[in-house]
Amino acid sequence: MSTKKLNQAALESWVTSMIAAQRVFAVQAKEERFTFAPLSQAQDLRLDYDVTILPPKKYFLPQREDLMEFHVKGEYRSLTEKEPFILLGVHPYDVAAIAQMDRIFSADNYDVHYMTRRRNATIIACDVQRPSPNVFAGYINTATVEDGFDVLLTKIGDSYLADARTPKGEALLAQAKNSGQPTVADFEQREQVWKSNKGLLRKQKLKCKAEELPDILENSYYDPIWEEKSKLCFSCGSCNLVCPTCYCFDVQDDLNWDMQTGTRTRAWDGCLLRDFAAVAGGHNFRRQRADRYRHRYYRKGKYIAEKLGQMACVGCGRCVGACVPNIANPVDVYNRLFMSSKNIYVPEPATLLKAFPMTDKETFYELRLDSGHELGHEPGQFIEVSLPGIGEAPISVSSSPTQEGVFQLVVRRVGNVTTALGKLQAGDKVGVRGPFGTQFPVHDVMKGKDVLFVCGGIGLVPVRSAIKYIMDNRKDYGRVTILYGMKTPADILFADELEEWRHVPGVTVLETVDCCDDTWSGNVGVITKLLPMVRLNLKNTMTVVCGPPVMYRFVLGELSQMGMPEDSIYISLERRMKCGVGKCGHCQMNDVYVCQEGPVFKHSEIKDVMEAI
Amino acid sequence: MSKPKLAIFDFACCEGCQLQIVNMEEEILNLISIVNPVQWREAMSEESDEYDIVLIEGSITRPEDEERLRRIREKAKVLVALGACAAGGGVNRLKNTLNLQEAKETVYGTAANMPHLNTSSTKAVDEVVAVDYKVYGCPIDRREFAYIVRCLALGKTPEIPGYPVCVECKLKENVCRYEYREICLGPLTRAGCGARCPSLNTWCFGCRGSIEEPNIDSAKEVVSKYGKTLKDLENRIALFGSK
Repeated sequence: MSTKKLNQAALESWVTSMIAAQRVFAVQAKEERFTFAPLSQAQDLRLDYDVTILPPKKYFLPQREDLMEFHVKGEYRSLTEKEPFILLGVHPYDVAAIAQMDRIFSADNYDVHYMTRRRNATIIACDVQRPSPNVFAGYINTATVEDGFDVLLTKIGDSYLADARTPKGEALLAQAKNSGQPTVADFEQREQVWKSNKGLLRKQKLKCKAEELPDILENSYYDPIWEEKSKLCFSCGSCNLVCPTCYCFDVQDDLNWDMQTGTRTRAWDGCLLRDFAAVAGGHNFRRQRADRYRHRYYRKGKYIAEKLGQMACVGCGRCVGACVPNIANPVDVYNRLFMSSKNIYVPEPATLLKAFPMTDKETFYELRLDSGHELGHEPGQFIEVSLPGIGEAPISVSSSPTQEGVFQLVVRRVGNVTTALGKLQAGDKVGVRGPFGTQFPVHDVMKGKDVLFVCGGIGLVPVRSAIKYIMDNRKDYGRVTILYGMKTPADILFADELEEWRHVPGVTVLETVDCCDDTWSGNVGVITKLLPMVRLNLKNTMTVVCGPPVMYRFVLGELSQMGMPEDSIYISLERRMKCGVGKCGHCQMNDVYVCQEGPVFKHSEIKDVMEAI
Repeated sequence: MSKPKLAIFDFACCEGCQLQIVNMEEEILNLISIVNPVQWREAMSEESDEYDIVLIEGSITRPEDEERLRRIREKAKVLVALGACAAGGGVNRLKNTLNLQEAKETVYGTAANMPHLNTSSTKAVDEVVAVDYKVYGCPIDRREFAYIVRCLALGKTPEIPGYPVCVECKLKENVCRYEYREICLGPLTRAGCGARCPSLNTWCFGCRGSIEEPNIDSAKEVVSKYGKTLKDLENRIALFGSK
């Protein structure tokens, strides 16, 4: 089988030749979103899409399809659609979903409707160029695919590598004119795309491994989560309908006006719909919302997983976006069940990969969980680090969740645990519980806004996770201003990164020190002195403040004087968070548990909490 | 087998649902091939007191209308509420949220106390007499109406969706109106229209009425998340008198 290199013009002329020869269904824009639709001209093709509203299953199992015509005397005539077609631009996770549907519709009772369409289809897959914010295919092993398609397109620079994997694909690719021969470097670049997509398609962070889900679900049938989440369920079935592996249907008859002949039609159905399991006579075998809500997770994570050896979920994230009350995110549910399947007080082992001093008081650590799971944190969250015999201490995570496989901490030696930590080296083990607490709102309210960070001392450590997240998703945010104050120039943390950020377009970094000698040529004085030095669009700026307790009153006062709305200011508070799970009571400020409702708070939410600042 | 006799009677409404039947145009020939219209004010001049299937259009707003409806029910074998006003009260039900006298004066001014304007609160047909079937929507959907008539002629209970409009909206692959931060009643409203309004780029007005067990609590949470008030939601729900 051959691989060709096609530039944009060669791709378009190839697609034009396909359109002339047969029906082509391809990804196109629909308002701000994307759909598979009949392609009439090559220019409309949008291989740079994130995800389509409906999966391409609609071409094998249409929303409505006539199964047969009949006569009331009892004659039946089967209807099947035999016209060939090309499905162009299918993402790997959808290829995996189609492969799973193939197994279901071909095994046991062969479904001639589905399988005829399937055999008549030529699938041109396309590697993801722009991950959807809801995707988690990287955890399900569906971020890339090895088979299940006829041709695979992968974008390399301005061109595509088109790789034929079946005789049908080979014949189609032979029609592509003006193609080039891919070089070794092109193939290497494609390997890079595959490798990086496995990490990039992890926007929703699954904490457990997909293979563990049947066991986790085994003991979760009576978990309170079903009742809790389903309280907001509309029973609208949107999560079913947009799912590439859901295939349940309803069958209905309708007569023609002659009242003699008619058609039997099947149409998509969904187990979340109220009457899905209701029988004539009125009894409903899945009467409660929670029953129906739970069934979906069991079907996807256990029943089908056990039957086929793979989950009935490919991590496309469509259900996450389609659910208006936002309760259909499988990652949320599976993470919760995974966490509650564990004893909340027992740490997980982790290994230090790196440990080196940053200043004379602070040490930098890079760790990995021994289980191979992701930590699964969000910017601003913290963990409890445990040393058996010494104790536990709450430590902010300093790395961005965009960094896969490992996480980073910076620890100042102040107490028993942190002092003992200071003596550890790469290769040593610690225990980890968490992540816990609230996050800096990088996913929602900060998006599209300018962001101002005001950090004092080791306040930079938790904030760094948000800064790095924003740097990794730079185009989603406006101007970024980082103000950083420290006691002396020797206390500076992440000097190399500050220098790097300073040179990113649209980013301003200003430092100040309380006291210094002649070798420091920068700003001197408290951090509030930096505020008048930067130009801020107050209406469009979200602010994060993090530093020693004394800093807050001054910085918040100054921001308020400048006219910054309290709704736009997020602060991260330090308290004695002993358990991290909202039980022990040490971190309470009046009635607020900092470990649960914090450590990140919107200023307006806690300005009336007397013990807060 | 002789064709069942069909009669259509209108009450308080715009008569737009009857008009939808008239608008079936050449399909009317198919319709009259299976039923025999004996009374249909918008389409024929003949009248009759003998009928099998009765379609009631409009809501019931006056005591004398209740009397008339009861007389029709006595003679009808099958009684169908036709359209949003008959099936649920429809837009007319807005009146029930107001002081009746004030509402009358607002609409009719100095003529408000004329005897023929002796209106009471709005009732759906099934609040006065027993209803066998309902055809939902403002106006009714012609395809669905045709299907229902065929079912009645066959003696089969029509299978009307009990699920919300979201289902049909997803099948049409529309962009969700909530992505445009609109309050769409799709999640609370009975499907069957083919998600007509969202398919034409506007929110669902809820004209087919509420599904069984609508999740109003969730709707309240959702609107506040999208920066709208509960009053916005209540107003939108009140338009077609849903729960």
